[in-house]
Amino acid sequence: MRFFISIFLIALGSMVAELYFAWWSVAVVAFLVMLLFNYPPGRAFLGGFAAIFLFWLLTAFRKDAANEHILAPKMAALFHLPNYALFILVIALVGGLVGGVAGWSGSLVRRMLQ
Amino acid sequence: MRAFGAIISLIFLAALIFVLDHPLGILPPIGRFLDPVNGCLTAADSVNKDFSTTLKIPGLQNAAQVQYDERMVPHVSATNDHDLYYIQGYVHASFRLWQMDMQTRAAAGRVSEVVGNKALKFDRTQRRKGMGYAAENSLAAMEEEPRTRIMLDAYTAGVNAYISTLHYRDLPLEYKLIGFSPEPWTPIKCALLLKYMADDLTGYTEDIPLTYLRDMLPEAEFNLLFPERIQGTTPVIPSGTAFDPPSLVTPPVPSDSIWVHFKKSDFDDKRTENDGIGSNSWALSGSRTRSGAPILCNDPHLGLNLPSLWYEMQLHAPGINVCGVSLPGAPGIVIGFNDSISWGFTNNYRDVKDFYAIHPLSEDTYLMDGKPLRYSERIERIGVKGKPTVIDKVKYTVHGPVIYDAHFEGPSRLKMPLALTWMAHKGTNELLALYLLNRAVNYVGYVDAIINFQCPGQNMIYADKQGNISLWGQGQFVNKWKEQGRYIMNGATSSTLWGQLIPMRENPHALNPEQGYLSSANQCVTDSAFPYYYNGTFYELRAWRINQVLAGLHAASVEDMFALQNDTYSILAANTLPVMLRYITTNDNYTLELRNWNYRLDAESHAATIYQIWWSYLYSDIWHDDFGKVPENLWPLPERTMQLLNTDTTLRFYDDKNTATTEHLGDVIQHSYQQTVDSLKKLERTIGLQWYKVKNTTVSHLAKLPAFSYGELKIGGWGNTVNAAKSDHGPSWRMVVQMTKDIEAYGVYPGGQSGNPGSKYYASFLKNWVEGKYYRLLFLANGNEENNKQIKYTWSLQP
Repeated sequence: MRFFISIFLIALGSMVAELYFAWWSVAVVAFLVMLLFNYPPGRAFLGGFAAIFLFWLLTAFRKDAANEHILAPKMAALFHLPNYALFILVIALVGGLVGGVAGWSGSLVRRMLQ
Repeated sequence: MRAFGAIISLIFLAALIFVLDHPLGILPPIGRFLDPVNGCLTAADSVNKDFSTTLKIPGLQNAAQVQYDERMVPHVSATNDHDLYYIQGYVHASFRLWQMDMQTRAAAGRVSEVVGNKALKFDRTQRRKGMGYAAENSLAAMEEEPRTRIMLDAYTAGVNAYISTLHYRDLPLEYKLIGFSPEPWTPIKCALLLKYMADDLTGYTEDIPLTYLRDMLPEAEFNLLFPERIQGTTPVIPSGTAFDPPSLVTPPVPSDSIWVHFKKSDFDDKRTENDGIGSNSWALSGSRTRSGAPILCNDPHLGLNLPSLWYEMQLHAPGINVCGVSLPGAPGIVIGFNDSISWGFTNNYRDVKDFYAIHPLSEDTYLMDGKPLRYSERIERIGVKGKPTVIDKVKYTVHGPVIYDAHFEGPSRLKMPLALTWMAHKGTNELLALYLLNRAVNYVGYVDAIINFQCPGQNMIYADKQGNISLWGQGQFVNKWKEQGRYIMNGATSSTLWGQLIPMRENPHALNPEQGYLSSANQCVTDSAFPYYYNGTFYELRAWRINQVLAGLHAASVEDMFALQNDTYSILAANTLPVMLRYITTNDNYTLELRNWNYRLDAESHAATIYQIWWSYLYSDIWHDDFGKVPENLWPLPERTMQLLNTDTTLRFYDDKNTATTEHLGDVIQHSYQQTVDSLKKLERTIGLQWYKVKNTTVSHLAKLPAFSYGELKIGGWGNTVNAAKSDHGPSWRMVVQMTKDIEAYGVYPGGQSGNPGSKYYASFLKNWVEGKYYRLLFLANGNEENNKQIKYTWSLQP
């Protein structure tokens, strides 16, 4: 339960942070949340990854649906991807990777401080 | 140990963010770009986006309104000129900012700043042509005239008001992709855009190849193949029109050494391709229409790009209510109509760009009338992304800038220093012409307006509600001696300098001719009765077809006009194919198709493909051995070739010089047919023979990104038909206006109102354009109407 709360907090915090700051503010949020929650590094990575992955995935899907798939297929073609779902998956994976590394780093810094 | 792990992880995280926040090779910064909140997906406009809004814009003087109709065409209603052009700038920027930015960068030779080294050659060419110099001259003229000054300043402020609202997340997609940001707009950018059009329309000359050919060929053959005026032209200003008596006497040809002669060693064999551009326009008197009111039609053929060159608008303020297409980046309506009149443009093609051979005496001086003259120098600093600034010193002579020399070679690597005298360099004010034209209420007002339009020279078609039709070959031209500027001139004698300007009211024009119609399609401007000398690059095929059809129309409807603008009948095919088939005895499927063909280059036609391929082989087989090494690849025109095939079956050029035997017309036709059959067999194994697939008309994104472009459009026609849809050029705006009491106007262009590839309005007109369908243009009586059902969104603008 606590793990899900941490994921939820990272996602929510990122949403707010991105309103005011650059894209990589999601990493700062994941880092800080995992610093507070004190998980083992592997679990912290998983939590950070899941949070940003889901946040970016859902945001991209929501925008693509409202856009009725006008832009996403063009972007997929631009990057030589076979379809737009894969393009959205790439978006989510990049976000997930950044969130995961940030969470992992947060956990390691917490361990150093203890 | 724990500290070590933590520090490593922090470094790793920082490095990851750094890498994803910076461009990698041709890739944009991956993290920043893919971020669905602020990155590329902000361009994914919701299809249900509500554009209605109330905007507080400090620069406005009074409240104003913009109403968008269902096609996202804005109808602007303002209370004064300042606000009108301010809003036009704001609206253009809202929908087309990146395009405006790129096109003015292209005009100025500033593309390398954002894309790097690969655009350096292009940028240097622009600088050497004197594009910046030309724009500065025109800007001075526009700022001196109070009305155009208001236009420019207000428009600029409007663009900047929009730019100042932008954060990274709001930038057009292409900025994020290429990795730069908009800079503040300035009036010089408007001037640059207008010069960009002038270059597009008057930049093409044949002076260099004609100079070469005149020395290479006996005079009789040169005149036979490259006549100044082709026989049988149906000129823009109908034959027999009485011209105003000339106020200037044509000067005599100077007796000193005026021409330049090339040596073969001045060139190497590298060849370049040309792609001529053209346009159609015509107007019918009420006597020839079903409604009894004049009908005006125009379709300028320009590069087919997205975002489209044109942006539809209606502009209303006291003293003006005008509708039509504007150029994003410049104020006013370029082609369109108002309450009283309608007008359109085709390119005039009289030669206003001449070359002079310069005789350098030292690094700083050149020869003129036996004495040394100093160059002035213009330092061109070309910023190059990721590289040091490139400095190009361009030398300016009394003739103009030295465009080519050993440091910057000309066509076919020509190193001879050539200076350019070009009407586009002059400080002209075309914006004033548009300002007055948009407000003109009758023929007199129309003429007073267009008389300010100096370059690019345009054939300007006109029709009004009072029933008048008119056509002017308008532009600023020079009183030249015979053949002045047709070839490269000696730049060391003042006798070759341009002389007096011809008063523009003496430009050839026709008003309400007896034949009841007027038309232009880039053909020769006048018959030989016109008192002044001119040369130019004129094309006849579309004009012949248009005049043929118009002559037979007596109760024309707008539907007849739609049909003519989309006409694919090839005069070239109708007049060459019978000759070609005469020499073919085989009866295969291809010749069978051709014998049953109606000479129409329809989208799905197989015969069209067979003919076009055969014609291009035949044309090449006739001329390539004789003219293959001519700089800029100048060969006799297809229409001239067509005439020769019909009148002279023994021309020595039919022989292929590269073979020991002597070939006759029949041999070259049979040989080209064999080549055609081979090509057709290959095509049948791949894409098939449908004409539209073979010619592949494509509307390309300005950054040449296939993902944002539309190819293999199912449209017929080619450059030699009225519907001139070529591979990358074609009818950029088709307009038909019937001047009834309530003006009935139709139009379509191959694009959409939004420049955003993620918008549903990005290419929303493309399908109708391909199918030859039109939209009825909404023209609001007072610029706005409260309860018009076609209005979808409203911007309420407050100061």
